Amino acid sequence: MQGILFAFLGGACITLQGVINTRISDTVGTWQAVSLTQFVGFLLALCIWVVKRDGHIAQIKKVKPLYLLGGGFGALIIFSEVTAIQHIGVTFAISILLISQLCMAFLIDIKGWFGLIKQKMKLPQFLGIAIMIVGVLILSYK
Amino acid sequence: MKEGIQMIIGILLAALAGAVVSLQTVFNNKVNEKTGSWTTTTTVLGMGFLCSFIVSLLVEGKNTFELQHLQTWQWFGGVIGVGVVFCLVQGMKRLGPTFTISIVLTSQLGTALLWDSLGWLGLEKIPFTFNKLLGVLVIIIGILVFKFGKGKEEKS
Repeated sequence: MQGILFAFLGGACITLQGVINTRISDTVGTWQAVSLTQFVGFLLALCIWVVKRDGHIAQIKKVKPLYLLGGGFGALIIFSEVTAIQHIGVTFAISILLISQLCMAFLIDIKGWFGLIKQKMKLPQFLGIAIMIVGVLILSYK
Repeated sequence: MKEGIQMIIGILLAALAGAVVSLQTVFNNKVNEKTGSWTTTTTVLGMGFLCSFIVSLLVEGKNTFELQHLQTWQWFGGVIGVGVVFCLVQGMKRLGPTFTISIVLTSQLGTALLWDSLGWLGLEKIPFTFNKLLGVLVIIIGILVFKFGKGKEEKS
């Protein structure tokens, strides 16, 4: 039950974050908003790290530089999400975002990119994506 | 016509964001394999800030530092991101990835619909319709089929 609550709260916070970033972008520019939220998040995470110390910089240096770039993707993600919400609203933007996210995850899995174990393509995943696209069509039908 | 273009831009950017989210998840997991989850979170957000700050300086120049119009609550938007990480880690620990991600996605969509309909935090209100609820429910069914369908076995 606790796990469900955490997962539910996590999802709600992801949407909340998109909305807040959009509102900040209305006050200052979008790139300022993206920088500011990441900076505040970074400071808070840094404070928690100082207390928890669950790793050190030497370990980070062992990570392939390519994978460290993942963090930088945050800039692109938030900018695109905010602009999408401004153009098509929260529900539509999040729906498209989730479908694209699952398709990409699926593609990475079946291709076995980035050294992940290759997964076989199976019917339920195709069916799931098809159903989601039908959902978006219903959603956007005026 | 203008509305159509806006729509296409919105759809393309949302799709881009989604695809990059998955890439980022894979990359962040690679970092997490080598170190703890708070070290990973701090690194990821630090890199994110660095990149957006550089782009902001290039695009907006000195305007990057024009933040005096921000309302007090808007300064704390970034805190939510850390809350997300905490909730996801706690959820995963108790439920495992498939169940957790299914709930997260469902909750994300449900809250989105609620937000559009109520126009909270001064967001432009988009009226609730039966179509929207039905669309969201169908997408959630799709997510469940995708996530719980037994198909992702390892290749021998």
